[in-house]
Amino acid sequence: MTTQEQIIKDSPYKPILVKVLSYNRETSDTFTIKLDWSLKHEPGQFVFCSLPGIGEAPISICSSSDKYIELNIREVGNMTNKLAELKEGDELLVRGPYGKSYPMEKFMGKNLVIVGGGSGVAPLKGVVEFINNSRDDYNDVQLFFGFRSPDDLLFKYRIDDWKNNLGLKLSFDKVSEPTDLGEQGFVTQLVQEDVEFDENSIAFICGPPIMIEKTAEILSKKGFKDEQIYISAERLMYCGMGKCGRCMIHGKYTCLDGAVFRYDELKDYKDD
Amino acid sequence: MGQYLLKKVDFEKFVNSVIKSHSLVAPVESHSGKKHSKSYFTKIKDASEIFLDKKTHYPIKGFFFHPEETLFEFDCNKIKDPNIDTTPIVYFGVRRCDLNGIMHQDIVFLEEHEDPFYNARRDAALLIGYHCKEGDDYCFCNSFELKDFYDLMFYDKGDNYGVEVGSEKGEEFLKEFSDFFVESEGIVTEEDKKIINKKELKNLDIKDYYHSETWKKGADKCLSCGACNFLCVNCHCFDISDDVNFDLKTGKRVRKPASCQLRSFTRVAGEHIFRDSKLARFKHRIYHQIQYFKDRHDEVFCTGCGRCIEGCPAKIDWVEIINEFKKIEG
Repeated sequence: MTTQEQIIKDSPYKPILVKVLSYNRETSDTFTIKLDWSLKHEPGQFVFCSLPGIGEAPISICSSSDKYIELNIREVGNMTNKLAELKEGDELLVRGPYGKSYPMEKFMGKNLVIVGGGSGVAPLKGVVEFINNSRDDYNDVQLFFGFRSPDDLLFKYRIDDWKNNLGLKLSFDKVSEPTDLGEQGFVTQLVQEDVEFDENSIAFICGPPIMIEKTAEILSKKGFKDEQIYISAERLMYCGMGKCGRCMIHGKYTCLDGAVFRYDELKDYKDD
Repeated sequence: MGQYLLKKVDFEKFVNSVIKSHSLVAPVESHSGKKHSKSYFTKIKDASEIFLDKKTHYPIKGFFFHPEETLFEFDCNKIKDPNIDTTPIVYFGVRRCDLNGIMHQDIVFLEEHEDPFYNARRDAALLIGYHCKEGDDYCFCNSFELKDFYDLMFYDKGDNYGVEVGSEKGEEFLKEFSDFFVESEGIVTEEDKKIINKKELKNLDIKDYYHSETWKKGADKCLSCGACNFLCVNCHCFDISDDVNFDLKTGKRVRKPASCQLRSFTRVAGEHIFRDSKLARFKHRIYHQIQYFKDRHDEVFCTGCGRCIEGCPAKIDWVEIINEFKKIEG
């Protein structure tokens, strides 16, 4: 019997080619690319970027538009170092969107406390843009972003707007004294000083695991219930479809059930 | 669905006539009669090769979830769809644990974001089961409610085989070889469907034991070798990586099975390892088998084949570790 062969066409692993509309260097190790990709997505979702020969990496969407996608990327590994070499007009292979978003609809009428640290500010920029597009749907909004130093500050061109309209407060932990831009210290201090408990408040935390843990602890002490706190998890990921098993945290797939989780879903399983 | 009788004296003739028109995969024995003899599934050319005396050492999953799958080929940013072999294959002699393993992999690969590679192979497969009367020292399949999941199932009835039909595909196949089968309703009884086990997993609810110290008994002995993942009927985690040719332009993106017991399983750029402790990795596999999959799909993942215990070089018996929970902390 001869071998029957079938061509696999509609594979969910197959990326599509999109154009890089702009490339913007944010800091010495971070850049933002804007892609010509009209992709319906929600705040907190992510996409995969592919560089054949190098690999693939999940990157969170840092914009909120049906017309384009922005990705803020830090150069930390083989993939991201190579992505940094992209230029305006280049083409990039992508697939997505993946993941569960922040349940923004559920939070209409709520106060939002948004806390970001370092690269964790990127997906929160998508959230902030979403809120800006439908500002009347939400009550008070407080933004707290922490970076290592003013040189590491992301989205500098947005800071004034966010400070004036959304009460953004910044902190820098690798400086010796306060600067014009913000306080000296960790973002957790800002949260400790400025956030007041309100049962109508919801907190979003995105950043390094230790920052998420400490911020959540502070909020809990202030009276926030676990259901009022949403955190972002980050894991190694290959498929984005709950098959490769790499991103599982105590039975939850970061790619399907996250990357945004309610705090009580993960808080007891920090080593998993 | 119907039940049929196949005389054992006709068995080889039946198998050989199947081989004439189909590819047939069945268990065979390597190093027959030797102490290190192992059985495994492979494509056979003659009925005499079939070895049914014991459960295969390796599970059947590799025929559907390949050890290396080309997801696509590339030439810089140009993507080429891959070819996949879809020759129909008849799988004979698959035990209930393996069949339920296939059922579980169907859930992983076919529900939500259907995997076309797995799907093509499953479509091309006809599954003929072989019922175990008695498990070996490691089997504990009775601890779970394994399902009837097959196209045809063979039961040993002394001089005959009782054959139960489990699907239309199975019914069609029988019609093709109708000369060998006699309709025989009632030949397979409930009694025939039982499997004798020496081992039992006594506690299926391990939710409250996650932070228990008792897990260390297994984790301390674990070598993080991943043999348990390799031998498991269910374990399906994988890597995706790019194999580049010497021209540094062309190549292929491939998927290969991965082991959650390896430290690198959760390593990300910047050398951060999320599941860094051996204890957490050891628990992860068992919780995935017993709890996580059940929470999500209402089926216990593990099918009790015991291959992970039999094949563990450190002889870690995690079933006994869980059974102890009941005594000490339950």
